[in-house]
Amino acid sequence: MQSLTRQTFIAGLALAGLAFPAATFAQGAAKVGAPAPAFQAVDVEGKTRNLQEFAGKTVILEWTNHDCPYVRKHYNSATMQNLQKDMAKEGVVWLSVISSPPGEQGHVDAAKAKDLTVQRNAAPAGILLDPKSVMARTYGAQTTPHMFIIDPKGTLAYMGAIDDKPTSAASSLDGAKSYVRQAVAELKAGKPVSEASTKAYGCVVKYAPLS
Amino acid sequence: MIRDCDGIMRRYFGTRFLSGAMLALGLFAPGLALAAESAAVTSPRVTATLLSSRDTVAPGERFKVALVQKLAPHWHTYWLNPGDSGEPTQIKWDLPAGASAGEIQWPAPKAIRVEPLVNFGFEGTVLLPLEITVPAEAKPGETFELKAEATWLVCEKICIPEEGSFTLDLPIAAASTVDEAAAARIDAAIASLPKPASFRAKLRDDAGKLVLDLPGLPAGANDLRFFPMSDTLIEHAADQPFAAGEKPALTLTRSTVFKLAKPEVSGVLTFSEGGTPRAIALLADADPALIAAGGAVAPETRPTVVRIPMPAEGADLTLWAALAFAFAGGLILNLMPCVLPVLFIKALGFAQLAHRSRSEVREQGLLFLAGVLLTFMALAGAVIALGSLGSSVGWGFQLQSPPLVIALAVVMVLIGLNLLGAFEIGTSVTGLGDGLASRGGRLGAFMTGVLAVVVATPCTAPFMGAAMGYAVTQPPAVALSVFLALALGFALPVVALSFAPGLLRLLPKPGRWMLVLKQAFAFPMFATAIWLIWVASVQSGPQGVLAALVAVLAAGFAVWLVGVTRGSFARRAFGSVLAALVVLGAGWFTLQNAVPGAATEARAGDIEAWSPERVAALQAQGKPVFVNFTAAWCITCLANERVALSRQEVKEAFAKLGVVYLKADWTNRDSRIAKALAEQGRAGVPLYLFYPARQEAQAEILPQLLTADTLIAAAERAAGRNAKTAALP
Repeated sequence: MQSLTRQTFIAGLALAGLAFPAATFAQGAAKVGAPAPAFQAVDVEGKTRNLQEFAGKTVILEWTNHDCPYVRKHYNSATMQNLQKDMAKEGVVWLSVISSPPGEQGHVDAAKAKDLTVQRNAAPAGILLDPKSVMARTYGAQTTPHMFIIDPKGTLAYMGAIDDKPTSAASSLDGAKSYVRQAVAELKAGKPVSEASTKAYGCVVKYAPLS
Repeated sequence: MIRDCDGIMRRYFGTRFLSGAMLALGLFAPGLALAAESAAVTSPRVTATLLSSRDTVAPGERFKVALVQKLAPHWHTYWLNPGDSGEPTQIKWDLPAGASAGEIQWPAPKAIRVEPLVNFGFEGTVLLPLEITVPAEAKPGETFELKAEATWLVCEKICIPEEGSFTLDLPIAAASTVDEAAAARIDAAIASLPKPASFRAKLRDDAGKLVLDLPGLPAGANDLRFFPMSDTLIEHAADQPFAAGEKPALTLTRSTVFKLAKPEVSGVLTFSEGGTPRAIALLADADPALIAAGGAVAPETRPTVVRIPMPAEGADLTLWAALAFAFAGGLILNLMPCVLPVLFIKALGFAQLAHRSRSEVREQGLLFLAGVLLTFMALAGAVIALGSLGSSVGWGFQLQSPPLVIALAVVMVLIGLNLLGAFEIGTSVTGLGDGLASRGGRLGAFMTGVLAVVVATPCTAPFMGAAMGYAVTQPPAVALSVFLALALGFALPVVALSFAPGLLRLLPKPGRWMLVLKQAFAFPMFATAIWLIWVASVQSGPQGVLAALVAVLAAGFAVWLVGVTRGSFARRAFGSVLAALVVLGAGWFTLQNAVPGAATEARAGDIEAWSPERVAALQAQGKPVFVNFTAAWCITCLANERVALSRQEVKEAFAKLGVVYLKADWTNRDSRIAKALAEQGRAGVPLYLFYPARQEAQAEILPQLLTADTLIAAAERAAGRNAKTAALP
């Protein structure tokens, strides 16, 4: 019943998306406490993925750009990889999203994306390629990294920064509070997410021009 | 990746020696900064300086300074609220006791579009002014030392985090002197800061939108934009429709992460009035309904940022930076006590020759260059070849072999004896220069190049660590170009001298002073030999010392033998064979006795030896761990141990914070240490790591040149205490 409601809603949202093309700025439809916007994107295996298939599971979206100094801070220190692995153990679906269009920093093809995962020993459940920045516009992704957590009911439970240290200095990782870990732990405990929306920090998401 | 090179060099060599040496060599003209502006920190994107409105300062006064960022076209740095992404410039001050620095007075930002997002920041040239207070106790005649570590993010579409150190030494005088030009620039920047608004604005909710009422806005104002200080108030990139008229108001879009920390909202309003751009600092009272929605209960806290004083070197170097560092490192090697005498004598030879033939001098300069290049390439080839064979070597590996250390000591002693004139026949003051320049002729010039590199290897300059670390982790072509840059930097002064007769004319006329100087230069060579023999003693114990001294004796005897058996062929043959036998015998004796590993333990003293397991175990016990990767043959390491690590206040801070000090001694070859260095992107020592007191937490890499303050601050961070940091205003 619940899933039916959700699908209906998503269909409605998709229609709304058609009727009203993206606004002039990147305020997406993502709003904490509201149903997470539907998305459809091709992953590095060439499969089309969408939000519905993860119904009943907690989903984390990670906007990324492997050359961004802020992203590098989290990957060079293995902080991101550890977070991905810990989340996998918790049964959380981790999707990395790459929205840089061709010619911009961070743009990769499927092979390169897979290669980066191996090289960095990363552990996302999937990597979504969004070279036209459609998904980025839908969610209003601003920075890399920018994190979104969707609860098993499809509600957006968290959006914002990965932690509370808005800097690219590696030393800031020590003692940083992971908003993601905090939100997932609270969701699991059935508690409301105490810090559900924070200001994301990092490099700007390189958007494809609207065609 | 940019750095105040001058600052490092000053710290390492001492200001006076260095500036004197630089002047002597005619290098580094920018080394002496103007009084009111610091040396520039430059990258291809930003040229930054610290500018002072005063040439001299008076006790108790307040004066203005500014951090100046000159940005390349299309690049920007950030305002206090950076907008949709980015990070504001931050300054961390290190001021004399009693002095204080005010907060940055932020200029009005520009909205820099990165469709569909926006950044708030600065393009072109931006001055970030602030006030410095001189303590009343400051003593005229002394120096007021302003030191700042600034960090900034510079972005075009891509972003580069940069940082720089700035130093300004301002003399303290009873009455201060204003630097008119600098003061005018700073005053102009202050004059264009946003002016406090003459009215209070109001922020209210209107059907989900935010409306900013601007009751006192000048009539005719248009092209408005509101920049809030808080980054969680509005959607930065959204249009801000303006309703002019009786009740002027801006409509803003509520942020998706809307938070209202205080019932008062602050920001900057920019607009145009009759074509003139204006900026005012605005305070707005938030509507009570909004305050409830925005959760304005807890005071807004922005995290303080802890920064490493200098960036970690090695892993993140770009090729260009590595080449620049290698080149600078090569230049600095010229000043090393073991190298300078060799080069100086070469220069004197040029001076003599120059009177006869300039082309010959030039030719010799080029041959010297060839000698330097070939020897460096050979060394690079050895490092690369050994590395590709899987051998755990790094820069300085040649000093891990006791027989090689002893051979270098012998070379030093022989050069010293030569400088003292021990092997010269019929030396006279006038003949001296001729002899030096023409003896051996072309081969001599080439061999001087080889010799200069050989004697330079023990003295790895501080810059070379990072460049070498980069080089050995790169493909061979890149590694070779780094070594090539090093070689070119190393050869530059002598080659330049051979091509610029004007410089040669600066030298005094040949005379007795040349002989005296030449003899005096023998002593640094002997000192280097003593040090090398000490290294051998650390590597091989008393047997190593015995082997080294026997080798020195044999070499001296052999050279003397060859000298006194000149004349007939029979005499020469006898002398040469006997000398060869002596050398071979001493060589065999050296190889027998100079075996590694004999005495390393003794050097560690009461400091625990490093192992990765030990680090993990200590972290698990919740102890912060400091690891010193060092070697007896590493001068930088020894200098750090002397001036920073063994300081009483460091020991006390370590004891107080429960820091465990581990030492990884690389005096002899050790593949585990080589692997640990490689993991941090280094090819050699020194390397200083501070592991936080948490299981599996990553280590912080400290700069290669340590100070007591750096160590104590790092210890506090590792122990989980907050170091003194620049809190964001």
